[in-house]
Amino acid sequence: MSIDLRNVSFWYNRGTSLEKQALNNVNLSIEKAEFVLITGEVGSGKSTLIRHFNGLLSPQSGSVTVSGIGSTSKDLRLIAGLLMQYPQKQLFGRTVFEDVSFGPSNFGLKGEALDKRVSDALYLLGLDSDISGLSPFALSGGQMRLVVLAGVMAMKPEYLVLDEPTSGIDPQNRSSLLSTLKKLHRSGISIIVVSHQICELLPLAEKVILLKNGKVAFAGTPKEYLKSVSSPLPEITLLMKELNLAGFNVNEDIFSVDDAFREIRNELEEKGVNQDE
Amino acid sequence: MNNLFLSFVPGSSLLHRLDPRTKIIGLMLSSICILEASSFVEIVLLTFVFLSLVISCKLPAMHFVRSVRPMLFFFAILFITQLLFTEGNTIYRFKWISLSYEGLLLGSIITLRFIFLLLFAALLTATTSASRITTGIERLLRPLPLRYMGISSHDLAMMMSLSIYFVPLLYDNFRSLKEAQFSRGLNIKKTPVKAIFSLSVPLVNSSLRRVEEVALAMESRCYTSLGRTSIHVMEVKKLDYLFFFLYSIFFIFYIL
Repeated sequence: MSIDLRNVSFWYNRGTSLEKQALNNVNLSIEKAEFVLITGEVGSGKSTLIRHFNGLLSPQSGSVTVSGIGSTSKDLRLIAGLLMQYPQKQLFGRTVFEDVSFGPSNFGLKGEALDKRVSDALYLLGLDSDISGLSPFALSGGQMRLVVLAGVMAMKPEYLVLDEPTSGIDPQNRSSLLSTLKKLHRSGISIIVVSHQICELLPLAEKVILLKNGKVAFAGTPKEYLKSVSSPLPEITLLMKELNLAGFNVNEDIFSVDDAFREIRNELEEKGVNQDE
Repeated sequence: MNNLFLSFVPGSSLLHRLDPRTKIIGLMLSSICILEASSFVEIVLLTFVFLSLVISCKLPAMHFVRSVRPMLFFFAILFITQLLFTEGNTIYRFKWISLSYEGLLLGSIITLRFIFLLLFAALLTATTSASRITTGIERLLRPLPLRYMGISSHDLAMMMSLSIYFVPLLYDNFRSLKEAQFSRGLNIKKTPVKAIFSLSVPLVNSSLRRVEEVALAMESRCYTSLGRTSIHVMEVKKLDYLFFFLYSIFFIFYIL
């Protein structure tokens, strides 16, 4: 079971003078329980691509199948949950419960089963079950984001697709969101993240997809990404490259601060520099 | 969609070069003519004027189709009611429904009048950018003694341009909200009330925030409505005088 895209192309305003091709013959497949990072410049087609995963857009040529289901079926929305950019904007309920239960109740869940879904989702995201009676607008920005994410998770998707989840968020909430994603991934859900902040997501990802002008410019593991792609690269990798240029001999395919620290310390030890100084 | 709304077609044709005030007055005069048109001869004359303007300015036909299309349902109802409820010589009868010749005539003329109102307005928006239109309106309103009522024409124009500025923003906002709620399985047909709440509450919420942001941005740049000049320099050129001359000849004929 996987997400499969075959020769997918998509145009906006097709047939008018404002026609713009957003996706150009995209082929890719995302396996179940994979952690995928989709990156690329603004306007490279990232958001258009992920809207194909849950059927918000259907390809104008080519085909999309998610777990064997074609892109026109509404059931896709249950299989691939999509968290939009600035998700807190979509809150509407009088209570957190109403908002989180919106998704599952749209798919016909009622009564106790619905209550359980909501409390499970809140628990999964580490939210206090007491807040389900509060107004979502009374929460802090970070909590609002988690509530919307709980609303998506309450639909029990197999794939969780997130559009720029870390934009406009403070460092504390960012790291807690990232660890939540890690936790969700460990529980067997595929995570697909669209972001250009690759430094923080590369260590988590198992697969990286780079889009350029609506085409897949690279697809592979993070290590391969660092070897074969020249930009965009995480700052820590750039630092390692700079160090090598300055005469050191460190490993370049590093994207986490801890690894870099270890690498630099080893290098310094080899060179016999006293580290207490 | 952004660009499809109030779509301005950049260019340098006859109508593009005219002063917005000339075009606005022209639109007003032609609207009066359209509303007064009561025979097919006049309609044909209007069609001739319209087509010659469109062709001479090389405007895309699609723009005009788009301006009329959303109103087609309304036009259909207008036409059918005139057709059914006007008494006169029956030309067709089916059970209790009878269609009269007068109804057909009246219906088509009234519908065509509305279509032409839209088309001529589209002619203005196709050849004038929204900010030029508002500047034009501001200058036209200036002689009116509005300031004795506590309103300045500049404030009116500012309000207008801000409203125009917000329409595509609102639309974009609405579209992304719709996508978000659709992703959570919203079915407008199945649960319309829920759909209205789940879309309108966040839309109003974020719009109010947006408005506040714009107000703050204007405030922080010390916006004041007094003593401001416009980015567009209004210049009445030979071409505009020519048009005003045509307008007055036309008006004299009209009165006679």
